[in-house]
Amino acid sequence: MSSAASDSRAAASPRAIEARAVRREYAAKGGPVVALDHVDLDVESGELFGLLGPNGAGKTTLIKILTTLLSPTSGTAKIFGFDVMHDTKRIRRIMNMVAGGEQSGYGILTVREQLWMFSQFYGLPARDGWRRTDALIDRVGMAEKRLARVSTLSTGERQKMNLARGLMNDPWILFLDEPTLGLDVGAARSLRELIVEWQAAVPGRTVLLTTHYMAEADELCDRIAIVDRGRILAIGTPEELKRRVQRESIFRFELDHLDGGPASLADVPGVVNASSAATSDETGDRQTVTVNLVLVDDSALGAVVEALGRKGARILGLQKSEPTLEDVFVELVGRGFGEDEAA
Amino acid sequence: MSGPPLDLVGRSGTDPRSASAWGRRQELLTNLRAIRGRAYPRYRGMVREKSWLLFEILLPFLSTAAFVFVYRALKAPEQYVGFVVMGGAMTAFWINVIWMMANQLYWEKSQGNLELYFAAPIHFMSILLGMALGGMVMSTTRAAAVLIIATAIFGVSFDVRDWFLVFAVFLTTLAALYSLGMVLASFFLVWGREAFHLGQFFVEPVYFVSGLNFPVARLGLIGALSVGLIPLATGLDAMRQLVFSGATFPIGTPSPAVELGILVVMAVLATVLARWMLASMQARARRDGRLTVRWQ
Amino acid sequence: MSAIGEVGVLGERSPSDHRGEGLRSFATAVRLGWQMEANWTDPLLFFIYSVAKPVASALILVVMLQVVGGDASLRYRSFVIIGTALWSVVISGVAGLAWAVLDDRERYRMLKYVYVSPSDFIVVLLGRGVARLGVGAAGAVITLVIGVVALGVPFDPGRVDWPVLLVATGLGLLSIVALGLLMAAVCLQTRQESWSYPDAFAGALYLISGAVFPLAILPGPVQAIGLAMPLTWWIEAFRRALDPANPSSIGGPGSLFQAVTGQVAPGNAEVLIALLATGALVTLAAAGVFRLSSRRAKELGLLDRTTGS
Repeated sequence: MSSAASDSRAAASPRAIEARAVRREYAAKGGPVVALDHVDLDVESGELFGLLGPNGAGKTTLIKILTTLLSPTSGTAKIFGFDVMHDTKRIRRIMNMVAGGEQSGYGILTVREQLWMFSQFYGLPARDGWRRTDALIDRVGMAEKRLARVSTLSTGERQKMNLARGLMNDPWILFLDEPTLGLDVGAARSLRELIVEWQAAVPGRTVLLTTHYMAEADELCDRIAIVDRGRILAIGTPEELKRRVQRESIFRFELDHLDGGPASLADVPGVVNASSAATSDETGDRQTVTVNLVLVDDSALGAVVEALGRKGARILGLQKSEPTLEDVFVELVGRGFGEDEAA
Repeated sequence: MSGPPLDLVGRSGTDPRSASAWGRRQELLTNLRAIRGRAYPRYRGMVREKSWLLFEILLPFLSTAAFVFVYRALKAPEQYVGFVVMGGAMTAFWINVIWMMANQLYWEKSQGNLELYFAAPIHFMSILLGMALGGMVMSTTRAAAVLIIATAIFGVSFDVRDWFLVFAVFLTTLAALYSLGMVLASFFLVWGREAFHLGQFFVEPVYFVSGLNFPVARLGLIGALSVGLIPLATGLDAMRQLVFSGATFPIGTPSPAVELGILVVMAVLATVLARWMLASMQARARRDGRLTVRWQ
Repeated sequence: MSAIGEVGVLGERSPSDHRGEGLRSFATAVRLGWQMEANWTDPLLFFIYSVAKPVASALILVVMLQVVGGDASLRYRSFVIIGTALWSVVISGVAGLAWAVLDDRERYRMLKYVYVSPSDFIVVLLGRGVARLGVGAAGAVITLVIGVVALGVPFDPGRVDWPVLLVATGLGLLSIVALGLLMAAVCLQTRQESWSYPDAFAGALYLISGAVFPLAILPGPVQAIGLAMPLTWWIEAFRRALDPANPSSIGGPGSLFQAVTGQVAPGNAEVLIALLATGALVTLAAAGVFRLSSRRAKELGLLDRTTGS
């Protein structure tokens, strides 16, 4: 494709987020503190993109820049082609944001009133605002709390209300800054389901999510950027990132028996390595055979199963062993989440 | 969690760039609705928690009455009682400007609302105006209560020469006061904690230079400067001249018509200045990162 | 560093230990209150801020007197300046505790933690409020100095009744703190916008405390209310301690005091006894109301709510 054609294509359908060399410093007594250091980021329209990193990595700072609340010290950032410094009005019309642990709003209002108030800030006519408020309240599962005062809500309920607020103007891009922070397992799960459902419901809806919960990023995100100390260390799909640590697929088979032992599987196409550990069941009557197989990739699994079938071995259990995103982080940085480099 | 899909009211435009292209009408309507939206919690709060009836109406009336009794103790002409009553009524609006508008931004920041307002597609003046209008119910009730009760109890008599001019001066004074409040709000946006304390600074000293309980002309040069610079002084002076037109001694200067002109200029200048300052202060706050840090 | 499990058990504590803890809590709260009052700007601005309010209030009255003119105005100048200067202490003291409640509940969200700590809630609030009281007192002193130096308030150190002044000051400050506790009890129940309530409350008391005009001007029943307030006796004691020639705000022709006692004005001893008695009553009432209010706040879950609008 020619560059003119690609330029015109970019103008026609700009990226949801485009950041180039974004840097943000804060003044401090001992010298400037660098919160973001030459961050480059591209997020396509319709993606659910994650920023994963420990506390203090710069995730919130980046979100604040993209949501026009903070200026970058240098570099540029665009939302659907609109510059965050010069086109703030255009951006604010098509985006919204929700932060975890948010305490915004007015305690003396009911949930319904609070949400309606925010509908007015996005220009909805009064009746439409009430209609949309009621629809969102029902959808996030807060119907029984509709008339409860905001000051009486639990943390999970408050965050559901915040999410409803974030969806009020049906944004083209939604920024979620640690949205499940402080929520219990059930509340966090329902919130994640809601986010995924909302994003998938209409093509072109984009979500940028920051989190330090790896499982959340792994579960939700199409692509993830791993951030640490103001820098993006790696970007890719969860699978791509994990492949940086472990390229092969590792499977653990539990078999009733295996004639010839694990070595008999070494010649099966796609098998890189086979090893075993014998186990007994609870009564100690029967010996099962556990075999760890390293395959070039998942596609070799079929051949292995076939080979086991020919040997008459019965598969009692099968488990895939995968690296976690923390493994990826450790690989990239040399320490885990929450570990201080100096320690 | 299950329920109907989140396919909400139809989106404007088929792509984000066209969706963000609002016309002037949509922009204006959004800002007007934002004013209504921000006034709403003030109104609901007043309906839900009624302690303000005692603390914002009755007790301030007693405070005004104290100054009436000072003049009574000095056997001052009865018009002076009227001066105090009018001053007491107008302070309701100044208190609204300082405490319910300008100073309020500090609260909004600490609650996390400020960043949501800035992230919304509205002008910040709409939020400030919504706050002011929401508090206006309380202020107007307070002013009316002071006027009516004081008139009934202390027998203040008014001799109004030109009702149209009185209302014109009153409304223009409010416009100028609230525009000035927006200017102050922009300072408070950046000064953070200091603003809360400085709000106090703007109460009694402003009362003094505005001639709250006496003709501001008595302050000589200070009074003249006040009439030219402080809407409360100008408005009070003009309204006193119009409302006690039968007084046998000079109440104020210059004439109410001139002071109305001064108020119009103040209102326009303050509005323009507020618009520029809010934009500048917002840009500065974005640069320094002050929009979202709670403790600053 | 010892492991957390090695921290010693507190064990039984004696009454003197409890008293020591109470004093420690109070001192810590005072330090905290002072930091919060004074650390927001440089000392010069802080000075200006502390002085501007009471000086402006005094000037309002001075000009009011000038406007009317005549002998009455000169005689009353000292009267109103002293009253206004002292009133800045009242406003600061009343606001100090009330604002501590609102600050901690709405802004810092610390009220619930203070409440559940072993420290007595009232003691901590008192400590927090004392700093603002100190600021008000400093403003009052400076206003009086300006009054003496520039506004014609007569002052002769040889004529000052120092024992009466000291006793009255001590009892008066305690009464002010009690009234502050009362406002704090109110603010525990009300919403964030009640910042202006202490001012409004102090403004109402302004009417009946003889701060800027003699009580004799008021109707009889209103005078009776004023005589039941410790602030009335405090201001009277302060004025007469500074200069016995200062006019009385309580007695005089047409006063309820004269009608009931037959005396033109109360003596020093009577004033101090009345101050002690009314102060004690107000203190007991305030403590009782505060306990009720904090219990109600606990029952209704008001201690950790935010109530902005």
